[in-house]
Amino acid sequence: MFVEQLPIINLILFLFMALIIPLLKRRPFKITLILGFIVLGLVLASSIYLLWYVNNVDSISYTFGGHEARFGIEFLINPFSALFSTMILGLAMIIYIYSSGDATEGVESSEYGRYYVLLFILLMALFGILYTNDLFNTYVFIEILSITTCAIVSIKKKKETYTSAFRYIMMNEIGSLSYLFGVALIYMATGYTNISMISETISVAFSANPVNIIIALGFMVAGLGIKTAVFPLHIWLPDAYSNAPSTSSAILSGIISKGYILVLIKVLYQVFGLDILRELNIQVVLLVLAGTAMIAGSIFAIAQKDVKRMLAYSSVSQVGYILLGVALFSFLGLRAAFFHIFSHAIMKTALFLSVGEIIFYKKTRKVNDFDGLGFIMPVAMGVFSIAALGMIGIPLTSGFISKLNLGIAILDNNYIVFLIILILSSLLNVLYYLPIIILGFLRNEKYHYRMTRIEHTPTTMITPLFILGFLIIGLGLFPNVIFPMIDAAVNTLIP
Amino acid sequence: MNEIIQLIVEKINYIGAVALFVIGLRIVVLHSNLIKRIMGINIMGTGVFLFFVAIGNVTGGRTPIVGDNPDIVFINPLPSVFILTGIVVVVSITVYSLSLVIRIYQNYGTIDQRELARLINEEDNVR
Repeated sequence: MFVEQLPIINLILFLFMALIIPLLKRRPFKITLILGFIVLGLVLASSIYLLWYVNNVDSISYTFGGHEARFGIEFLINPFSALFSTMILGLAMIIYIYSSGDATEGVESSEYGRYYVLLFILLMALFGILYTNDLFNTYVFIEILSITTCAIVSIKKKKETYTSAFRYIMMNEIGSLSYLFGVALIYMATGYTNISMISETISVAFSANPVNIIIALGFMVAGLGIKTAVFPLHIWLPDAYSNAPSTSSAILSGIISKGYILVLIKVLYQVFGLDILRELNIQVVLLVLAGTAMIAGSIFAIAQKDVKRMLAYSSVSQVGYILLGVALFSFLGLRAAFFHIFSHAIMKTALFLSVGEIIFYKKTRKVNDFDGLGFIMPVAMGVFSIAALGMIGIPLTSGFISKLNLGIAILDNNYIVFLIILILSSLLNVLYYLPIIILGFLRNEKYHYRMTRIEHTPTTMITPLFILGFLIIGLGLFPNVIFPMIDAAVNTLIP
Repeated sequence: MNEIIQLIVEKINYIGAVALFVIGLRIVVLHSNLIKRIMGINIMGTGVFLFFVAIGNVTGGRTPIVGDNPDIVFINPLPSVFILTGIVVVVSITVYSLSLVIRIYQNYGTIDQRELARLINEEDNVR
């Protein structure tokens, strides 16, 4: 069967591209860009085919080297992994088009390729995390992901980035080793690292060695919590997001943090299973973490004067929304969380890329310098406004749909407190997003001299912004396009 | 009392692994010297690896090389294989973070966390 080979071919294509970029160093850089785009296009086509296949025919399981899944590594492509790998690749393509105009700024021409080598290895690791059905294999991919992530943070040789990348890698490493300790404890109790086999035997293991399972759950949630920047563990995030180049920030918040959240969802729902989670009452812990993140992230964001730091803190609060949906442990909650993963990924990418364009031209990151920008850079500021309105949750944007679904899921479980927190957090969002929009489009006499539109905006930077703006409004108007796929993904996790 | 000592002796490898993990964590979080923090990561990693190897051990077991005699008890080889991968991963993380420390030293002239924080603060105030 050819379909079974497709996931492996995806990974090999990424690795092949990462390998070939340094070889093309002496050729014009355009060749590398076009070749990379072709590779991304091929993988997108195969991901979409896989998505169609798993939704309509059957899940695909592939074991490496013909070893049975107990000893070897198994790749399992179900509606969950196929849906999110397609999402990640779609966003990565948009960022890729944008980065061809921006990532090369301030880097020597012979080193243009470095960024793209890292980008392709990073995508390979993300696809591996989603496809693999093995806890230890997930750990290896997570480590590849953390090295490449820290490297794209520190890619531009500025001195602030080195310290923030160092802090990032230290926190990341504590997270991965905690996760690995959890894997060891589960392996001790069940004797497997394969996720489907663990989920079959974990209830027996839980009645035999409950301490093992409890400690493993604690280690894994804490470890992955550091990586997803759940509120008290977020200290690495603002520096890393704000000092990194704009495309890297977009990749970090749009793609990578989503990858870690998906691993957390996989661990909670597939490895431990809802029965054990309910018995251990982990729900309270997760709900409290989510609630504090939603409020505290927004409050910190209000105090920031640097736009990128503000967006970074806003990410902290948005992770809280996703975690809230996950922690409800219900069909509706997970559905809302998945939709919010989609809409937040798109909106945050749009915000970071539009801010990136503004920084690219204006060389300013202060919120106060945004006045009158709407007339000078209509596209960047327009997309920023659409995405910011989406973050607040104005109807017609995808942010509204995800907040609506989250609200319905909360009401379904009768946690009225969290509905209040949700509304409060949205109001706090208004407090820091709306002033920027008002500043941007306020026609002020004092700034008349700025009224000339900036010319020569590269189309490679404008087109992705247009696509993202349309996607935000499109998802807000027609959410039913992706809801069937999300439902299928939820059904694979909640039997 | 004897029972407790007995228990500690029996579980000494697990206790050692957890102790290493906690010592490493303490160094990473609380030390201000960047190189020592990287060492802390390595100690933490060693703790986890020792734990993995301890799981795979079978009392009286032998090296898992299949020979003529089918009655020999083998130790579990899988955790050791995991650890081989784990060691490679931790080494690469160490190399990457050491290279970052070199760059930090070249730019700021110090590898002390507190000193660094002071320098960065001063720069922010100048701007």
